[in-house]
Amino acid sequence: MLTSRWTVTLDLTWHFDHDSTLSIRPTRDGYLGVPHSLPSIFRYTASETGGDIMNIRDFRSDMDEMLQALLLFWIPVSMVPLGVWYSLTSSPLRGRFLAFTGIVLICLSPWTVPSSPSSAAGHLLGAVIGPCMLIVLGIYLISFSGNVSVGKLPRSDRKIGVLMAAVGFAWLAGMHWWILTPQIAPDEVNPYWNVFWPTFLLLTSCLASCSAVTLLMIGEQRKTESNIMFIVSAFSFTLLLLGLNLDGPLVNAGEFRQHLWLAVADMAGIAIGSILSILVFALVIYTYERNLPDPESITPPTDSELKQVSSLIATHLGGEEE
Amino acid sequence: MMLLAFLIPPLLILAIEVTFFGEFKGLDSGVSFTRFANATLTAFTLCSLFLLGNLFFYGESRNRPLAPLVGMIMATGFGVLATVFLIGQGPMLLEDNGSVRAQAIYNIVHMFVSSGAILLSLCVALGATFSAITSQKQRSSFELEDE
Repeated sequence: MLTSRWTVTLDLTWHFDHDSTLSIRPTRDGYLGVPHSLPSIFRYTASETGGDIMNIRDFRSDMDEMLQALLLFWIPVSMVPLGVWYSLTSSPLRGRFLAFTGIVLICLSPWTVPSSPSSAAGHLLGAVIGPCMLIVLGIYLISFSGNVSVGKLPRSDRKIGVLMAAVGFAWLAGMHWWILTPQIAPDEVNPYWNVFWPTFLLLTSCLASCSAVTLLMIGEQRKTESNIMFIVSAFSFTLLLLGLNLDGPLVNAGEFRQHLWLAVADMAGIAIGSILSILVFALVIYTYERNLPDPESITPPTDSELKQVSSLIATHLGGEEE
Repeated sequence: MMLLAFLIPPLLILAIEVTFFGEFKGLDSGVSFTRFANATLTAFTLCSLFLLGNLFFYGESRNRPLAPLVGMIMATGFGVLATVFLIGQGPMLLEDNGSVRAQAIYNIVHMFVSSGAILLSLCVALGATFSAITSQKQRSSFELEDE
């Protein structure tokens, strides 16, 4: 057993600090830590065996990390749909506060629970929430500054909306081809950015194209609107082609191509899984409704009931005689 | 026709890849199948969980029956069991994760990120369509007859 001359007791409930070497010296806060004055061989040995040099597993460290991830990531994640549900039903203010708090805690997860790999999703949320809000608000301003019957905004908001949407798209493009790429560590791209960006570009192009054809098929005299949607689809498609051929500072074209095909597989899987789930839901409802008993038949109306109905109908038929 | 319009962008990319490079560069069928399978299982499970919540509201109009709830709980449970069973069958469905639990959690987080991208795309496409429609001049549906 490796010890140092400062060892007094070995507390079997210790917690390994993975940045230190083999920890067998009792410290003030209950954790065992090795000062930097000790030989580096202990540091090497401990990192080589992952702290198992005495065959003691550090279960408490795993539990602490799991508990941290539960409290500081997954509970905030569940707060968001719960808050949205509250805001739609009983208490809107409380629901919005709950959802907002959940989103803030998710964005803070890279700092509150850095050991969890899931916090990279929180990091991505914090990185893309700015451009996404700009795009959504910009589209809202453009839409409602036009010919709408309810909630019409001033005409000047249209230019502001166009500017906001353009800045949002430029911001997202800059996250691929400029220095704005979300990085969880220096020169390490957030892996969920490689999921988000190709999925967004590809689906925007597909949906805009579908919308353009729908306007032509279902709408009347909607050629101009259809052309606009074809332009939106072409713009997204152009960004896709640029991503497949132009390297960014941190994401090259080859990696983007791989992630694009993974995004296609991902979206296909989501579509099929969701459809299967909806089919099962429909089957459950159909089976239950089919097994319900027939409604009870009632007796036909009596003569007095028929007379009453006739008099009521006669009273309400016809207009005023001039 | 609408489905074909929806599929045109990825088909165009495939056509360009084959034309200029002669092959599907960057397409690893094994990795793609793994992602597809994980996405299917996770989407089925999470969607079933969401629809289970919907059944509570359905139940209010039918004197709160238990049978549909049990059916949906079974469907959700089947999704969870299938996910755990298939991921645990070896490295086939394990991506860069070392355990079933890690892969399951990764699948859920990946689903959230993909759903966020899908939601944003829907907002952009629908918003742009609505913007295009409202930006046109107001049209009258009826021609007034001269009295």
